[in-house]
Amino acid sequence: MDFPRILSGNWDTPDSHRLAVAKSRGVYSQLPRALAMAPNDITQIVKDSGLRGRGGAGFPTGMKWSFVPPAEKRQGKSVYLLCNADESEPGTFKDRYCLWLDPHLLFEGMAIASRALDCHVGYIYIRGEFRYIARRLEEALAEAYAAGLLGKNILGSGHDFDLYVHVGAGAYICGEETALISSLEGEKGQPKLKPPFPAVEGAWRSPTIVNNVETLAVVPWLIQHGAAAYKALGTEKSPGTKLFSVSGHVRRPGVYEIPLGIPMMQFINEYAGGLLPGRTLKAVIPGGSSVPVMTPAEVAICSMDYESINTNAGSYLGSGGMIVMDDTTDLVAALTNLLRFYAHESCGQCTPCREGCGWMHQILCRVRDGEASEVDLGTLRDLADNIHSKTICFFGASAAMPVQSFLTKFRSEFLDRVQRRGVGAA
Amino acid sequence: MPKVKVNDIEIEVPAGTNMIEAAKLAGVEIPHYCYHPHLSIAGNCRMCMCEADSPRGPMLEIACNMQAREGLSIKTETDKVKAVRKSVMEFLLVNHPLDCPICDQSGECRLQDYYMDHGQYDSRGVDPKVGKHKRQDIGEHIVLDAERCVECSRCVRFGDEVTGTGDLRLMNRGDHTEIGMFPGTRLEHNYQGNLADICPVGALTNKEFRFQRRVWYLRETDSVCTGCSTGCNTKVCHQEGEVFRTLPRRNDDVNKSWMCDPGREVNSVVGSLTRLLRPTVDGAPVADATAVLAARIKAAGPGRTGFVLGSSASLEANWALLQVVKANCVGARVFRVAGNNAGSIVKSDDFLMDADKNPNTAGVALLADWAGNVGDAEALREADLALLVVLEDDIVSRLSGNPAEAIAYFGTHTNPTAELASIVIPVAHVVEMDATYVNRQGRVQRARRATNPQGEAIPAYQALEKLGAALGRAPGTSMPTATFAAMARTVPRLNGLDYKALGAGGRPLAPAPEPAAAPAAEAK
Amino acid sequence: MSHSATSAASRGPREWSPEQAAEIELILTRYPTKKAAVMPLLWMAQDAWDWIDLDIMRLIGRTLELPPSHVHAVASFYTMFKKAPTNKYFFQVCHTLSCALVGAERILAHLEKRLELDEHGNSKDGLFSVLRVECLASCGSGPMAQMNEHFYERLTPEIIDEVIDALRSGKQLPEPRREADQWIFPVS
Repeated sequence: MDFPRILSGNWDTPDSHRLAVAKSRGVYSQLPRALAMAPNDITQIVKDSGLRGRGGAGFPTGMKWSFVPPAEKRQGKSVYLLCNADESEPGTFKDRYCLWLDPHLLFEGMAIASRALDCHVGYIYIRGEFRYIARRLEEALAEAYAAGLLGKNILGSGHDFDLYVHVGAGAYICGEETALISSLEGEKGQPKLKPPFPAVEGAWRSPTIVNNVETLAVVPWLIQHGAAAYKALGTEKSPGTKLFSVSGHVRRPGVYEIPLGIPMMQFINEYAGGLLPGRTLKAVIPGGSSVPVMTPAEVAICSMDYESINTNAGSYLGSGGMIVMDDTTDLVAALTNLLRFYAHESCGQCTPCREGCGWMHQILCRVRDGEASEVDLGTLRDLADNIHSKTICFFGASAAMPVQSFLTKFRSEFLDRVQRRGVGAA
Repeated sequence: MPKVKVNDIEIEVPAGTNMIEAAKLAGVEIPHYCYHPHLSIAGNCRMCMCEADSPRGPMLEIACNMQAREGLSIKTETDKVKAVRKSVMEFLLVNHPLDCPICDQSGECRLQDYYMDHGQYDSRGVDPKVGKHKRQDIGEHIVLDAERCVECSRCVRFGDEVTGTGDLRLMNRGDHTEIGMFPGTRLEHNYQGNLADICPVGALTNKEFRFQRRVWYLRETDSVCTGCSTGCNTKVCHQEGEVFRTLPRRNDDVNKSWMCDPGREVNSVVGSLTRLLRPTVDGAPVADATAVLAARIKAAGPGRTGFVLGSSASLEANWALLQVVKANCVGARVFRVAGNNAGSIVKSDDFLMDADKNPNTAGVALLADWAGNVGDAEALREADLALLVVLEDDIVSRLSGNPAEAIAYFGTHTNPTAELASIVIPVAHVVEMDATYVNRQGRVQRARRATNPQGEAIPAYQALEKLGAALGRAPGTSMPTATFAAMARTVPRLNGLDYKALGAGGRPLAPAPEPAAAPAAEAK
Repeated sequence: MSHSATSAASRGPREWSPEQAAEIELILTRYPTKKAAVMPLLWMAQDAWDWIDLDIMRLIGRTLELPPSHVHAVASFYTMFKKAPTNKYFFQVCHTLSCALVGAERILAHLEKRLELDEHGNSKDGLFSVLRVECLASCGSGPMAQMNEHFYERLTPEIIDEVIDALRSGKQLPEPRREADQWIFPVS
């Protein structure tokens, strides 16, 4: 298959994080052009491209940008551009590669976006565990500043854009855009009520756009090649290429850039190298640990795009973090593992999620250990239903969907465990 | 104003009205923990979820984050809504210690109340509960039990938004989220009691009230605080003549939902040992001191008798005093003395605690302006009086001495004035009578009788009625309703008011006729 | 906890050095409010003093004009701010699903045995601490652990031994085996 590697094109070039190398690969070539464009024209290209947010929600990026009120309606407030580099959805590790191997592409994307948004200050919110990457970003920023590619009067255009790195400190929820804003503001990383939406009232109560690393890194390519070229890739509703992270029981786990829409089995077999010898497929979580799990039958009919996964499997493409589980997997233990994660990461704000995630985990531990009954499975299902969409942010649903889907799609495995009470754990 | 619907009841409310408040206006109670009308919206408890109409059909949304707009329609009693409430209750209780039998919040606990209406009645919680810190002494007035907390963050927002002290925080995260203070610090502000009030559960309780009385035995009577001129609206909670606590009562124009800690203690002196219980003349108890007083007034003669209006006394009592003088003592002088009584609250701030510790300074000013020719402290010192009749104010402390040859004192408690007085007539405390006061904003507010007067005390306006009768002409002030009505007919700035019109929240005085006359309120 | 190196006396006074004060000035220029600097300052303090004690929270509160309770709440919310000392070499081993599927427990068991960990995860020799942590975004290269700031990926007991031996003998830290340096080419 022949397609442009929009995001990963520089990754195999040694020292691709150095400005000189990045420039030789064409990074920053679109910045002067974009700075000469009318801001609305940039937004229009992004809109026309059909680019959807790559952080997990898949919201159309151009539309998000267009929600920022025009200058005359902002009461003199600044606009902030935040890059969500808090990559923390289990199964997702693509942004880490973008940040480590091609930071300048991200900076260029942010500088272009800042022009479109009439924004002069941006932050890259990077998770605390990536401090070693943050140091590289700081070095790269220094290079970009020295070259006049960031800061005051970029390339003599009159446009100012200051970009800072803000390091998180271990909280999954900070990947949620309003929690990210809270965290940046110096609060606990707790999501905020919507409305108001961040584009209208976000960081420091000013209009704020939060975009994923991958989303912003696509922008220079859109300027260079135009919306039509992007739309020519992928499917009609899921245009473009996307980075997929694949982990679990495959022979070549890693990050792969592919055009959206290729069959899921093809992706698993050709890109991820297929399963280990002698194993059969048991389950796939297609888009980060929060999305509903898929059965092999569903995997067989799905392709790697937003619509297919949703229509055929009731699941989501999400962040593109695929976790593959083969027949050696104890799915009860797998789900228990995930719920331990959600119980650990719930921000503790909304009642159902705060109390429910820990409770679900406790029940699952009993199920896993053969100390639960079928009644407990009913309770578990109820709790998940009672958390889903009853909370301020999407975390509640993220914790509920694995429970709901595992219990529905792999019911026999759970029934088997509760019916053989006391028969030891896997 | 937009029209909104709550359970198909259409009401018109100001745009932006919070939907919990809008529902209240429609007679619909939406259960909630974290919402508080005088704090920012947190939206975390999820108890107020309702179904709101949207283009995509009914959507579950929290009522507290919805503002009234034209056409908004919410339903609060659908099966889905009921199911959410039930599940929120289940989540809230799964890690709750269920120690109601020893919890002071019992009887006014939102967990209990809502459980009755929305609970599941069938516990599924068999797993171990999360343990947290219990019985923490976090301030002069407050004990914290973190296990009982529902993490609604009301107290956190109170500290951030009302007192600005930022002392309480929800620490940690997930189901280990725990309310607490910075180790080694304590609450250092004068509004701690509000924390116990706004805590919807038993996490923050008031030390003074802990283990005193089950709340269901208490009766509540609307009152106003007499600790200073702010006049915070209060509820007096009492049982069988004993006052157990005083709580703030919501009045958005005066004190919102708050009151200060010293104010809560103002009524604790109702039955104290310093209370004046029996009339005395020259130190000896008598059956009827007013008759003796009348005789001494006559003996002194109007020219050498003075009367002092009371800024600690009610409007009715001051009115009665003026009427007694007018009817019986033509030529006697009337005074008012600014200052605070001995033993009054020391603290003041620019929020609710006014430096003027008298509940009715503005009321005295109002009547003094109306009556005219009321002398100040200086005039009193120079007056050369044989007898001074004092209404409640501790003028000996205010003047640092006795300005007359003899004092007759109508008062509630002993103080330097009472100690020097040759005639003492005990009068009712604010919780023991119906009366009105004018606060620093010029708002006329009503206190209602909660308990019977202690000992032989009667309301001052009734004691003065007796004095008038003994002097020859009773002022007709034995009944507070009629007294107020008569006063309101006569005093222009009270025209049109009566007890009914004052309602629960009081009413502002009509503006003073000439703006220049307004500063006279503060007699120096 | 057997930890001698972090007694209050040896941690020095809780005041910013001139260098730190200058850094704080710089940090404050990046944000419209002082409050926003709370996480950068917590990091700075942790770098200097190893873990965040109450004195540090007070110091940051004073510096940023925040109540100490706020600094405490923030520090308590984020797991990477250490509220208690750890030993010099701090392994944070991911045990979330992707790593669990490929043997995180085997790595943890090996560390426990090799380092003779107590119930707090501290090694008998007082040199190492081990903590189970949730997903570190190295799902494709598990099992993995973060040793201090470095990611070690595709761990085997042998690699663990190699790292531990190097650390114990005070040799140069082995190069982090970081998957993102050698990314896997797509099959096109």
